[in-house]
Amino acid sequence: MLPYLLISGLTSGALYAMVAIGLVVVYRSTGHINFAHGELFMIGGFLAYSMITMLGFPYLLSLVLAVPLSFCLGVICDRVVFRPLMNAPGTTLVLATVGLSYLLKGVGRYIWGGKGEYISIKAIVDPAPFLVWGMPVLPQQLIVFAAAMLCMMGFLAFFRWTIAGKMMQATAESAFASYLVGIRVERVYTWTWGVGAAVAGVAAVLMAPLTLLTPDIGSGLLIKAFAATILGGLGSMSGALVGGLLVGLCESLVGGYIDSSLQEVAAFIIIMIVLVFRPSGLFGAYGVRRA
Amino acid sequence: MSMIEVRGLTVAFGGLLALDHINLTVNPGEIRGIIGPNGAGKTTLLNMVSCISQPSSGDVLLDGQSILGWKPSKVASHGVKRTFQSSLLFKGMTVLENVMAGLHGQLKASPIAAALGLPSVWRDEREATRRAHATLEFVGMSQFAERDGGELSFGQQRIIEIARALVSEPRVLLLDEPAVGLSINRVAELDTLLRRIRDERGVTIIMIEHVLRLVMNVCDRITVLSSGKKIAEGGADEIIANSDVVEAYLGRALDASRQEP
Amino acid sequence: MNIRKFITPRSLGLVVLGVLAALPAFANNYWLFVGNLTLVYIALTVGLNLLIGYSGLLAFMNGTLFGVGAYATAIFRVDFSWSYGLAIPLAAVLTMVIGVIVALPALRLSGLYLALATVAFAQFILWVLLHWDRVTRGPSGIQVPQVDYAPLTDSFEHGHYYVTLVVACIIVWLTANLLRSRYGRAFVAVRESEVAAESIGIDLTRYKTLAYAVSALYAGLAGGLFAPLLGIVVPESFDLSQVIVQFAMVTVGGLGSIAGSVIGAIGLVWLQEFLRAFKELQEVAFGGMILLTILFFPGGISAMLKHWFPGWREPLRRRFLDQ
Repeated sequence: MLPYLLISGLTSGALYAMVAIGLVVVYRSTGHINFAHGELFMIGGFLAYSMITMLGFPYLLSLVLAVPLSFCLGVICDRVVFRPLMNAPGTTLVLATVGLSYLLKGVGRYIWGGKGEYISIKAIVDPAPFLVWGMPVLPQQLIVFAAAMLCMMGFLAFFRWTIAGKMMQATAESAFASYLVGIRVERVYTWTWGVGAAVAGVAAVLMAPLTLLTPDIGSGLLIKAFAATILGGLGSMSGALVGGLLVGLCESLVGGYIDSSLQEVAAFIIIMIVLVFRPSGLFGAYGVRRA
Repeated sequence: MSMIEVRGLTVAFGGLLALDHINLTVNPGEIRGIIGPNGAGKTTLLNMVSCISQPSSGDVLLDGQSILGWKPSKVASHGVKRTFQSSLLFKGMTVLENVMAGLHGQLKASPIAAALGLPSVWRDEREATRRAHATLEFVGMSQFAERDGGELSFGQQRIIEIARALVSEPRVLLLDEPAVGLSINRVAELDTLLRRIRDERGVTIIMIEHVLRLVMNVCDRITVLSSGKKIAEGGADEIIANSDVVEAYLGRALDASRQEP
Repeated sequence: MNIRKFITPRSLGLVVLGVLAALPAFANNYWLFVGNLTLVYIALTVGLNLLIGYSGLLAFMNGTLFGVGAYATAIFRVDFSWSYGLAIPLAAVLTMVIGVIVALPALRLSGLYLALATVAFAQFILWVLLHWDRVTRGPSGIQVPQVDYAPLTDSFEHGHYYVTLVVACIIVWLTANLLRSRYGRAFVAVRESEVAAESIGIDLTRYKTLAYAVSALYAGLAGGLFAPLLGIVVPESFDLSQVIVQFAMVTVGGLGSIAGSVIGAIGLVWLQEFLRAFKELQEVAFGGMILLTILFFPGGISAMLKHWFPGWREPLRRRFLDQ
């Protein structure tokens, strides 16, 4: 039982981690949390669904196309919602992205409502499960896990070693100072939103074969991603990864050993406990803007 | 008995000493200027006296009583009011309401009385309105009473902030660069205003300021801080003549021996 | 005669009151239901505006506390067999207490963290409502009987409508009074600058707690009146979309304005009912309205009225004829 719980916890945790990473990327650069991030995930997933079932694209192609499509969606959100409100107080932006999330959810429901299903993968990976510790693991789950690790390491490297990465951190620290040294702050924001959305889109496509896509999936995932980032420490990329895995594990263990219905609520309790007792999370508040 | 006293005040942020064993005594009815180059610790000193943060060691005394560990609202309710470097006027209310807000601690109506519109609230509001109008007149800003806080210019906002601090008849007024954003004429008006506050209302004033002409004219004594240490204290003439002060602001003159041949 | 200066929150309020009071005379039961629902929402939005608009505390709990009030009323009425006259006020007080207890740890959080914590809390309570079968009857909810208004009237719809109207009026009147005193100024001060507020002697803890308490009390009352109106309390009435609807009402009506809360509630309740069959359109409409308002009319309808009509002012003080 325990190995099974661990594996299922780690694989769902990897998904949460990926969604959280996209959230943290935007936070690291702009200092704001996008409450519509879950819906970016949802729409990315449905776009892939449409490509596979209606246009007949193979899975891999859809995965690849998900990147630019989601990126564009992120850029649109940046231009329409974030850019005009860049200098507004934090609470205004929270309200605006909350409104956006609701709007996108409605759009998603209108276009694809009730049509989500398990996307079947063809060819690329043999869908037969193989054994780890005597428990069956789907190859897709491993792919999600590997993708999350790759993503995180890629972003860590990006932030630490590339100039673009440093620019993104600079804009979060002080937009004004960034202007002064010649950084094109709005451009950085736009790219960030695009990248964050792209990560969400990729995560959705990777996850689609494993669970049912619904228009409501975004809000549930967003809370899990919140739990992951807060547990790891808001703003920390590695924290998002570790946090995501921990949230997944917690859910799995609590669901398995205590009560299956408690699985849904583990994330909420984690958020509340962390915020009350240790708001800076496990890895401390990394470059946190005054919330 | 001193009004404000600071003993061995030390404030450390990580390895950095913002204030290093500062001793300061301000007497009642005095206007004390705090000057020094940027980063000297002047605002930190004011923050300690208004209890916005707590020192690492040392003591702060108000009228002989230690105020260490007090909350800012508690210090304020004991008659210590302050203004800030960037205007913190409330833009969501009118100028008059801003000044009335300054009387907050002295109005006594309970929430229930306020919600029910009982006579005690009407008495409170009538008194608050009267005093706010009077204070606005004192600072010469009556004509702006019904304007929204956000409509005023930066300099005007600073004066209203002083009015808001003054309306509650404080014992001590802490001013953080009150002359910032004021034209030369306005600075002269501020000079007069500060004297009137001290003479007519008996308020002790501690002000951080960079406009040295104002400081030299209006302050009874001046304390000079540099890099967290007190480097000089005295009347205007002593301070100007003090070479340490000049050096702190302007740097040391080049040694003749170091010039290139 | 310049009619513009007669358009004030008070005069408009009286007109609205007149219309609302006369509604039962010419409305059928369905319109009466919607009107009654509007009054419930007025109670909710006034409290929410006090919290978000005036005090700047972005908390997502109002929908949840609304539910707590409704469930408490249902349980008191059905399980304990108390009369509604006892159940509703006690449920409201209980909701206020719970609201304050939850607020206490939340006082240290601000902005983003507060939003996240209250979202998590709201989802948690929703889960409790769904799973604590023994008390809440889970997803199927608790059926509650109508309120018996005899001998005043035989019609439940009429009786309940007038009771809710009176309660809503009292809430608006009490809150308007509260805001025209040092409390109103204190709330706005807390919103604009906590540092400056403290420097004039405002104890942040006390005033934030007061804002939470008042909005929780109103939400509890609203919940108590909502339960018999709907006839049943189910968890899904109080999920996050309930909060979004309330946010939309306050934002469109105008944050920081009591009149705005009333306008927003009246304006959007009809839309919600109209779109009830089309969930996706509801989501698009309400989400879109929040966005559009924030992007293009940040102060909501109330700010627009203030712009057009010089008499439209909601001061934070009382005016005296001789000053």
